[in-house]
Amino acid sequence: MKRFRSLLFPMLIATSARAAAPELTLVIRDHLFFPSTLEVPAGQKVRILIDNQDPTPEEFESYPLNREKVIPGNTKTVVFIGPLEPGEYPFFGEFYPKTAQGKVVVK
Amino acid sequence: MFLVAVILILQEILEAALLLSVLLAVNQQMGPHLAGTRKLTLHWYAAAIVTGIFGAALFAWAMPTVSEWFDYAGQEVINALMHLVVIGGLYTHCLLLQTNARQTPGPHIGAGVALIVVITLSITREGAEIFLYINGIMGTPTAVTPALLGAGLAGGIGISAGILLYYSLVGFSRVVTLRIGLVLLALFAGNMAAQTILLLTQADWMPYTPQLWDTTGLLTEYSVTGQLLYALIGYEATPSLAQAVSYVAAMLLLASTPLFRQSWR
Repeated sequence: MKRFRSLLFPMLIATSARAAAPELTLVIRDHLFFPSTLEVPAGQKVRILIDNQDPTPEEFESYPLNREKVIPGNTKTVVFIGPLEPGEYPFFGEFYPKTAQGKVVVK
Repeated sequence: MFLVAVILILQEILEAALLLSVLLAVNQQMGPHLAGTRKLTLHWYAAAIVTGIFGAALFAWAMPTVSEWFDYAGQEVINALMHLVVIGGLYTHCLLLQTNARQTPGPHIGAGVALIVVITLSITREGAEIFLYINGIMGTPTAVTPALLGAGLAGGIGISAGILLYYSLVGFSRVVTLRIGLVLLALFAGNMAAQTILLLTQADWMPYTPQLWDTTGLLTEYSVTGQLLYALIGYEATPSLAQAVSYVAAMLLLASTPLFRQSWR
């Protein structure tokens, strides 16, 4: 039953989620993410504006979120995530993974 | 920096290298069966690789502009479009190989053009990231050498994997090679369709659909096997409903070509 609900719940959301999704900003500077933890409400689609202030490109990547997007140096981009269930979803910068680490915390 | 470059570039190269091997193996084994037809010579493949590299450089150069199109959805939309053209190209390639064989002897011009489109776009999509990465690294002089060495190693591994797959495929009898090769092409088309859905969902051009299952516990996407399977058949630990449906649909599209009903005997 729990499994069925977890399938149905997002489906109901999907029909109404076209309404403006809340937006969060993620800055890349010196190959680091600011903030490194993004708090996101559960069960809601969120628009993340990624502002790469480094002159070098970076790739926002997350396996649990199924997201992957290149952000050329000194440009902005947008990635939509969710709706998600509560939990932690790590992401990283594929071009500079040693420093560019962060996570989405869904509450 | 060395290891980062190896992993990054290998991920980008692998998909195109494996696709190229499968196409090569299928075409190579197709020739003798179809009396009076000529195989696509290696020139077609070489031309496709060259145009692909140019395409990748161009796409990387245009990336800052493309990224901002459609309220920052440009990258996804253009990428999704390329994925769809690859599916169309694979379908046309399979269709024309057969039709052409039945009718006129001679080189498969149409099939060859479709092949060039498929390979060019596959390299363009993945290669652009390599160009962007290397270009970014150039600003940090100390990182240039390790990154380029890593790129060289990744290129070597990627090409070796392709060669290994090619010889494994043609090592079977012709019937088996063609059967496996065609199934791999159909799975690859499915992979392209599922990736299209993912891109459009990421850009909010398509609604969210629920996740069907989670096989992370069985095989993670970032393990070596996971990465290999991702490159070859689009392995995804947490696929969505729309991804699965589109995967099957593209697979069936390719399997609907007469080539898949041949007995090859």
